[in-house]
Amino acid sequence: MSAAAPMISSIRSESLPIRGQGRVLSNVVDRNGRKLRLAVPDWPGSIPGQFVMVGTGATASVPRHDPLLPRPMAVYRDLGATPECRDSERAFELLYRVVGRGTTLLSEAQPGESVSIVGPLGEGFPVEESDAPALLVGGGTGIASLYELARALAATGRSTRVLLGARAEADLIGFDDFAALASEGVELICATEDGSVGVEGRITLPLEAALTESGPGALVVAVGPTPMMRACADMAGAKGVDCLVSLENPMACGFGVCLGCAAPRAEGGFSLVCKAGPVFDAREIAWEGLP
Amino acid sequence: MSSDQDGVLRTSVATNGTNASTTKCTATVDERVEFAGIPLRNAVLTASGTFGYGTEFAPFLDLEKIGGFVAKSLTLEPRFGNPPPRIGETPSGMLNAISIENVGVRAFLEEKLPALPEGVVVIASAFGTAPEIYAELASQVSGHPRISGIEINASCPHVKSGGIEFGQDPKLLAELVATVRKATTGSLLVKLSPNVTRIADMAKVCEAEGADGISMINAVQAMEVDVETRRPILSNILGGLSGPAIRPIALRMVWQAAQAVKIPICGVGGISSAEDAVKFMLCGASAIQVGTANYLDPGVAGRIAEGLANYAARHGFARVADLTGALETG
Repeated sequence: MSAAAPMISSIRSESLPIRGQGRVLSNVVDRNGRKLRLAVPDWPGSIPGQFVMVGTGATASVPRHDPLLPRPMAVYRDLGATPECRDSERAFELLYRVVGRGTTLLSEAQPGESVSIVGPLGEGFPVEESDAPALLVGGGTGIASLYELARALAATGRSTRVLLGARAEADLIGFDDFAALASEGVELICATEDGSVGVEGRITLPLEAALTESGPGALVVAVGPTPMMRACADMAGAKGVDCLVSLENPMACGFGVCLGCAAPRAEGGFSLVCKAGPVFDAREIAWEGLP
Repeated sequence: MSSDQDGVLRTSVATNGTNASTTKCTATVDERVEFAGIPLRNAVLTASGTFGYGTEFAPFLDLEKIGGFVAKSLTLEPRFGNPPPRIGETPSGMLNAISIENVGVRAFLEEKLPALPEGVVVIASAFGTAPEIYAELASQVSGHPRISGIEINASCPHVKSGGIEFGQDPKLLAELVATVRKATTGSLLVKLSPNVTRIADMAKVCEAEGADGISMINAVQAMEVDVETRRPILSNILGGLSGPAIRPIALRMVWQAAQAVKIPICGVGGISSAEDAVKFMLCGASAIQVGTANYLDPGVAGRIAEGLANYAARHGFARVADLTGALETG
């Protein structure tokens, strides 16, 4: 590995995380997912790729311990002081899918209720100018990690393409938001396994075409299910292209103490996804050791 | 969880029938406790393995608002833990099998301790595979001016060798405590495993061999299965259950141990509110440790300390220490 190009480092935010209560501004259906907008007092803002730990559902008036653990979720859109914000509140959105008890409860949080958050957490994506394109590949809820990154990369003038993969059109959460980024110069390509939108097949098909076209200076960012990230990383690696990923390991705290989110490193040992990541150079990860 | 605590404070004001603010309420109560020879500004510590090396909590909690913390268990050399998955959620609890991943005693003393603000009470936790290793760790840390005491982790439920072996066999536990006792004159605590038949016997062993205090309980050995994959949810298969699910078990064991020994007990196990802390003190604990709740709400230990003093004030106790053993059973 040492003979290859240097690893790309994730970026540490200058803001310290806070623990607070987010006021639910809206919690709406987005295709087969949901979009939760929270206004959080003294929210310090996030950099692309950072995440928050979100309580499972509205903060109850009496203690509730089940489900116990908060859920890590990427900051999808960091909106700053929107007209709905009061005083020191700043708003951001989470894009999620109802997959279990925690997210079911979260989907029931009503406007005006509170949801506990800790964040922003983790290290984010480097955003660098380049003549070579950035190819951002998203699948599942990993899509949520790419919105602010796409905007930030496009704002540097870099050619930025978002490639979203799903089984079917209904699974393409965030699609409308990404489509609207065309006005900021972000190109959107989709692949669905049933062919209902875009290319029929997996997202690696249009990725391969884009990589062939773009040459070695390109950057691949892949966020989604582990097999998708690994396939993208392998494809980028075979072409000598840098690839960043954002891992989604389960974690209890999000700030480096539970040690639950350890990901095996290619060089041996482990990295904490919450502190050293969630953004990693794909070559840092021992993929075969990820569950 | 902050709203839970707010609820406590509002109740207290209403019960008093006065406009006394929280600060005024707590100002009348002496929050200080002495635990195993360690003077603490209040009875709330945080549990080993749930509080890192302290600095991780600086954004969320004034470390000088809590009694102190027990640092992540140390081994003589840095140590990596188990492969993932290391944690999983269970009803009102979580399972973990981290396996004592830590920076090692040298990095702890040279890098982690100096990064902490002065005035923070730090208790080191030691883990080993033989009594001599624990003793070596104890002698390395106990002379350090920033270390107020040492807690023997005789109860890690998911390490293949060491830890729980000592905590489950009275003879091995006696040998361990006696060996470490010879290595340090500082405050010596033993963290007991709940995975035993008679907890009082284990507490008596600690007392007989010269321990200054007991922390109890460590995680309850447990297991969970994913039926879709037909696999255990942890790579280690077995793990330690923590969180509110184990609190009544911990409370029972603290009560039983407190009946059996005179050395002080630090109550640990699922504490996530001031009421929980009060329960442990009533059952005989002189101090408490907040564990898994730190993950969910990194500021919770500070609010538990406030709530504890508030409870004492509301119930007419001049000192929080007077709550210890104040359970009415008649």
